Amino acid sequence: MLNREDWLPLARKLDWEFSYSTEQDVFPEIISGSPWLPHAIWKDWEEAFKTSYREYVQNQHEKDMAVYAVRDAVGRLENVQALATPWINGLKIHAAALPLAEFTGTIGNLRGARFGRDSAWRAMACFGALDEFRHTQIPLLLMHELVRWNAQFDWAHKFYHTNNWFAIAARHFFDELTLGQNAIEFHIATNVILETGFTNLQFVGLASLAHEAGDHLFEKMVTSIQTDEARHAQIGHPVLAMVMKHDPDYAQYLIDKWFWRNWHLFSILTGVSMDYMTANDQRSGSFKEFMEEWIVDQFFRTLDEFGLKKPWYWDIFLEELEIYHHMIYASAYTYRSTLWFDFVMPSPSDRKWLRQKYPKHWDDMDAVWERIGERWKAAGPGADKESATLGTAMPTFCDLCQLPLSAGTPRNNTANALAYDGRDYIFCSQPCRWIFLGEPQRYASHKGLVKRVLSGEAPADFNTLLTSYFSLTPDTWGKDVYAGAYHWLQREGAPAP
Amino acid sequence: MALPLYGFMEGDTIGLLIVADEQESVRSLAAKLRDAASLRVDGSSHLEVVYRGLVLDPDSTLAQADFKPLQRFDLRMNHGLSESRCSR
Repeated sequence: MLNREDWLPLARKLDWEFSYSTEQDVFPEIISGSPWLPHAIWKDWEEAFKTSYREYVQNQHEKDMAVYAVRDAVGRLENVQALATPWINGLKIHAAALPLAEFTGTIGNLRGARFGRDSAWRAMACFGALDEFRHTQIPLLLMHELVRWNAQFDWAHKFYHTNNWFAIAARHFFDELTLGQNAIEFHIATNVILETGFTNLQFVGLASLAHEAGDHLFEKMVTSIQTDEARHAQIGHPVLAMVMKHDPDYAQYLIDKWFWRNWHLFSILTGVSMDYMTANDQRSGSFKEFMEEWIVDQFFRTLDEFGLKKPWYWDIFLEELEIYHHMIYASAYTYRSTLWFDFVMPSPSDRKWLRQKYPKHWDDMDAVWERIGERWKAAGPGADKESATLGTAMPTFCDLCQLPLSAGTPRNNTANALAYDGRDYIFCSQPCRWIFLGEPQRYASHKGLVKRVLSGEAPADFNTLLTSYFSLTPDTWGKDVYAGAYHWLQREGAPAP
Repeated sequence: MALPLYGFMEGDTIGLLIVADEQESVRSLAAKLRDAASLRVDGSSHLEVVYRGLVLDPDSTLAQADFKPLQRFDLRMNHGLSESRCSR
C-alpha cells in the first residue's frame, strides 16, 4: 500500500489533456471565469491544507461530535430561554439568514469542483461543498428545538422563500455571489472577501460576544463552522494570485465590487447583532472596533500582500463605518413589523456607550431615538400601542444592494438617481451606483420592491404588503421586545410597568 | 398625473416613497414628507423643498417645478443659508 505522501499528490494532481474536446469546451470562460488561461498556466495551483478525503471525514466527524456534546450539555430549550431577550432576537436573524445562504455556498463550490482550472482546486472545492452543506445542517439542527417554541423562529425557515424586503436583498446578494457565478469570481468573492474577511468577523467576533452573552451553543456552532471556512477559504488565495498576475485591473475590480457588497450586508447582519442585540455589559467591543481589527487592519494587510490597493471608495467606507448600521437599525426599528424578529430601543446607557464608540455622528442618531422615545411616552407602553411608533409611508430601497436608502448621514443621505437605458434607478451610495454601471446587463432588469409596488406586482396597501407579500402575521412580525415598557421612558407620575 | 418620488427629510435615517399629484403644490409635498418622517424627525422648524439643487417656491405646483417620477427631492431645515430660489 502506498504511503500518504506517495498517493495524495498523485490523486490531487490528476489532470490530463483532452483528445475529443478542446480545453475551452470543457472549461468555458463563461462558467470557469476570466481571465481564461490554459491549464499549463494553472498546473502549479496549490493550497496549504492538502487534505485527503479520509482525513476530511475523520476531522469533520470529530468536529460534529464536539458540537453535539455542547448541544447535549447546553442546547436545551430552557438554555436558550434563559438568554437575554434581545440576544434571542439576534439569533432569529441568523436562523433566517444563515442556513440557506450556506447552502448556496454548496452550489458555488460545486461549480468550482467542476469548472475550477486545476484538479487540486477542484478536489478542495469538493470539500468546500461538503463544508457548506454542513453549515446548512448545523444551524437547522441546533435551532430546530426553537421552532415549536416561537413562531418567529419557525418563520425564519421560510425567509428566503418569501418576498420580505430583506429576503429580496439577501437573494440578490447570494444569487450573484454563489448561485449564478463563474468559478473564478465565486472563489475570489466568497473565499477571499466573504470568508477571509467578513465571516471571520462574524464567526470569530460574534462568537466572542456569544460567549459573553452565555450562548455557548451559538458560540460553538460558529467557531466550528469557522474551522471549515478557514480551510476552504484558502482556495481563493491562489486563484486571486493568478488573476492578479494576468489581469490585475480585473482582480482589483472584483475586490472593490465584492468588498462593498459584503460590507452592506454584514454591517446589518453583524453590526446590528453586536451593537444593539447584545447587552452593553456583554459587549467586548463595538462593531466598528471589530471591523477595524479584522477588516481595516488584518484583511487589508492580506490584500496588500497580493499587491492590491484599497478600494477607490475607501473614504466613503470609513465614513459609513461610523454610521451606516445605526441608520439602518433606527429605520428598521420604526419598520419592525416588516421583519420577523423583535427590536429593542437603545437605553440611555446604550446610547452613552454608542456615543463613546461612534462620536462622529451620534448626536444626529440620538435625536432620532429621542423623538421615537417621545412617541412611546405620549402613547404609553403596551402591545396595542405599537402602531404609535411604526412608520406607515413606504420605505425605499437601493436598486443595487436592495437595502434601504439609509446611507450617508441624517444630514446628508447619499442616495442618487440615475436614468439608464430609458429606466430610472436610485442607489444608496456612489459605490452601489458604480457596481451597477460596471455590469448593467446583470442588474438592470431586477425589479426592487418600490417598482414592484408601483407596477402592481406587490400590494400598495402597507398592511396587505406585510401579510400577503412579506408573508408575515401578527404572531411573526417584529415588535418592540418590551412593548415600550422601558422604565427610563415612563412619564412623570405614571405607574412603573 | 401621480408622481412617485423619493423623499429625504433632513435628520431622517431613511428615504420614503411619496406619491403626489403633479398639480399639487410644493408646500403640500413638503407636508406629506414631514408627516411621514415625523416619527423620527421633528419637523417643526421652517422647511424648504430642494429639487435638483434648487430651493423651490412652496406655492408652485410640482408640474411647474418640473418634477419627474422616481426622482429625489429633499426637505431641508432652513438654516439661514442662501440658496437660489426657483419656481421654474
